[in-house]
Amino acid sequence: MAEPAQSSAMQSHLVNFIGLLRSHDVRISPAETLDAMDVAATLGYARRDRLRDGLAAALAKTPAEEAIFQHCFGRFFDQQLADFSSTREERANQAGEQEAASGPEATSMPKGDADHSAEQLLETAAQTDADLQALLTTPLLRQLQDNDSAALNLAMGEAAASVGLSQIRMFTQKGQFTRRMLDAMGEDQLRRTLARLEQEDSPALEPLRRYRDILREQVRDYVERQYLLQAEGENARFMDDLLRRTRLSNLELRYQHRVQELVQRMARKLAERHARKRRTYRRGKLDMGRTLRRGIANDGILFHTHWKRTRKNKPQLLAICDVSGSVAAYAKFLLLFLYSLQDVLPKVRSFAFSSHLGEVSELFAQHPVDKAIELVNWRYGGATDYGKSLQDFARLALDDINSSTTVIMLGDARNNHGDPQLDIMRSIYQRSRRVIWLNPESRRAWGTGDSEMPRYLSACHFAAECNNLTQLERIVDQLLKMNR
Amino acid sequence: MHTQDFPQLASIEAIEQGFESFGYICSPKIATAVFLAFQLRKPILVEGPPGVGKTELAKTTAMLLDVPLIRLQCYEGLDEAKALYEWKYGKQLLYTQVLKEKLGDLLQGAQGLAESVERLHQFGDTFYSEEFLEPRPLLKAMQQERGAILLIDEVDKSDYEFESLLLEILSDYQVSIPEIGTVQARVTPMVFLTSNNTRDISDALKRRCLHLYIPFPSVELEERIVLSRVPDIDQQLRHQLVEFVHSLRDLDLKKSPAISETIDWARSLLLLHARELDAQVIQSTLNVLLKFEDDINTAESALRELLPRPAHG
Repeated sequence: MAEPAQSSAMQSHLVNFIGLLRSHDVRISPAETLDAMDVAATLGYARRDRLRDGLAAALAKTPAEEAIFQHCFGRFFDQQLADFSSTREERANQAGEQEAASGPEATSMPKGDADHSAEQLLETAAQTDADLQALLTTPLLRQLQDNDSAALNLAMGEAAASVGLSQIRMFTQKGQFTRRMLDAMGEDQLRRTLARLEQEDSPALEPLRRYRDILREQVRDYVERQYLLQAEGENARFMDDLLRRTRLSNLELRYQHRVQELVQRMARKLAERHARKRRTYRRGKLDMGRTLRRGIANDGILFHTHWKRTRKNKPQLLAICDVSGSVAAYAKFLLLFLYSLQDVLPKVRSFAFSSHLGEVSELFAQHPVDKAIELVNWRYGGATDYGKSLQDFARLALDDINSSTTVIMLGDARNNHGDPQLDIMRSIYQRSRRVIWLNPESRRAWGTGDSEMPRYLSACHFAAECNNLTQLERIVDQLLKMNR
Repeated sequence: MHTQDFPQLASIEAIEQGFESFGYICSPKIATAVFLAFQLRKPILVEGPPGVGKTELAKTTAMLLDVPLIRLQCYEGLDEAKALYEWKYGKQLLYTQVLKEKLGDLLQGAQGLAESVERLHQFGDTFYSEEFLEPRPLLKAMQQERGAILLIDEVDKSDYEFESLLLEILSDYQVSIPEIGTVQARVTPMVFLTSNNTRDISDALKRRCLHLYIPFPSVELEERIVLSRVPDIDQQLRHQLVEFVHSLRDLDLKKSPAISETIDWARSLLLLHARELDAQVIQSTLNVLLKFEDDINTAESALRELLPRPAHG
């Protein structure tokens, strides 16, 4: 085992790493943090591959999380070891090539000597230039000249701490932080000297410029890594938050994919939260107490067995979705939600309508989501006729509606001034446990123009405006709670 | 279970070698997870596609430690009477009958009802006692003298309620029986849970477990597995057949061939004295690898691209 001081340093490292994982949406409980500590203590820090496997076992609990874990582990633990010697070599090579182009004597020089000659150049120039001499003796230039990556990394770490780099959240901050890091490391002196040398056209200009470029590149990389570590997860979360609150009809096409993921995640979360209570034991357990008590009447002979039972509660969900043109922007998401819900809840029947209505549960079960939604739109899209659609619905499903059925209606109730068939809606209302109407229009627009919403309201237990994902989530959550 | 009792699990290398001696070739990741599960006394939740050796891992560990393997196969509707314990109803009924007959003797000389009842209370309540308890796998695993390997297989097939039942056992290695009290494990068993991911396991359960995802093995690892199970097969052919199985796994199949099927296939090729993989051999033995008509058709139509290049070319 390591020295106590070192191990506590590693512990805080581990906590930072867990923080990073959390920001990348890996859910880690305090108990699992403790597990990770135990794992690290058991395995030690010497073998990185083992530590990685062990921590993965304690922290990542799904294959998806494990992929994130591997990604973060590499980046987090490799960061301390970033080396710039390779960059420098490339640079030296490039420089060598440039020199090769400029003069034949440079070509004959072996590559390894390129650095050497640069140092010589600088030193010769410094002999006549006190300013340059002072610059060359600063720790920063020494590190660059000696290719001392450890010391430079340390310096960058200190500079990063002093400018608060761990607070970086947006990519727009990258330039600003790079500048501040460079200032904190004393690059301004180098910059000033360079500006002066440029005017004098000194031979020391070229090598010094190279050092500056290496330094800038190192710092830029460092900031980039930090940004990726700190901000990537946060950004994704920020984006998710934003998307949740945006009106579904306003979402840009390029975000739809992301929203799709969000919707699915949401549906799964809801289903998970609520599905548990649904199931009941199918078999009972012998209720010994009652069996004996009943036996007393028969002089202790147990004629009748009694079984413990749990109340069976089979809630059924019927969801009807308007896919007509007026709600087209929403319909896609509502269908998506329906699809996801059907995926995770066992007893959902889905219907879609515009001019007529049909059941789409089968369609959802058989096809992948995009295809299913396309098919539904193609089959049932058109001008809205609530009356006709309700008739279809009654024919298909009214007999199945009973006191444990919840009916969800997704639509704007704009019926093109047709017959709303309110009596069918009423009978659904009377038979079912609950009728819920989710309307994408804002409440103020209900009842304007051809909207039949106020009339349908009389046949709903609950109606709400629902045009963004947060609302949808809240409503469905409420609904499932009531459903118990 | 302690390290001194089981030197087989003292280090990761020891585990790898031990498993290998029982013909279970594992990746360092698997060995690390088993090592940690043992050292930290945590259950281990093994996930992965069917046929990558999840159940086999528990069996091999039991063999390695030479302790009993107690297996609980999960299914929908599994309840505590099947998993945890059950009362021996028949014996309990007999007991009441005996009690009734003996009641006269017991209460002889008792003056009045109050004294009879008091005398009745002097006898311990044996009706609900360990003697009438029928242990089921979970309880049985707690009662083993030398410890045990408890395999809770396909936990994703059970109901959510059953998962909550497992929580107490997995975190504290104890079982609460309302009529008796809490039964603590004599020796902490090592617990393996397997899941095929047909549904998400609850967070509470996952939190209590180490998580091990076993993917299909790499070509190199699978070759070693085939070597250990079918040692007689030619090295060239072995390489070819494993490569071929890997390319099959990249196709969209209903059921990708598992490791056990690779082994079966290697055995059949050995029986057929096949020297090299060619279209004819593959076509005639494809049903060993693939179990669905559709999959076989898919594979056959893609056979030209999948076929290994001739060794010399």
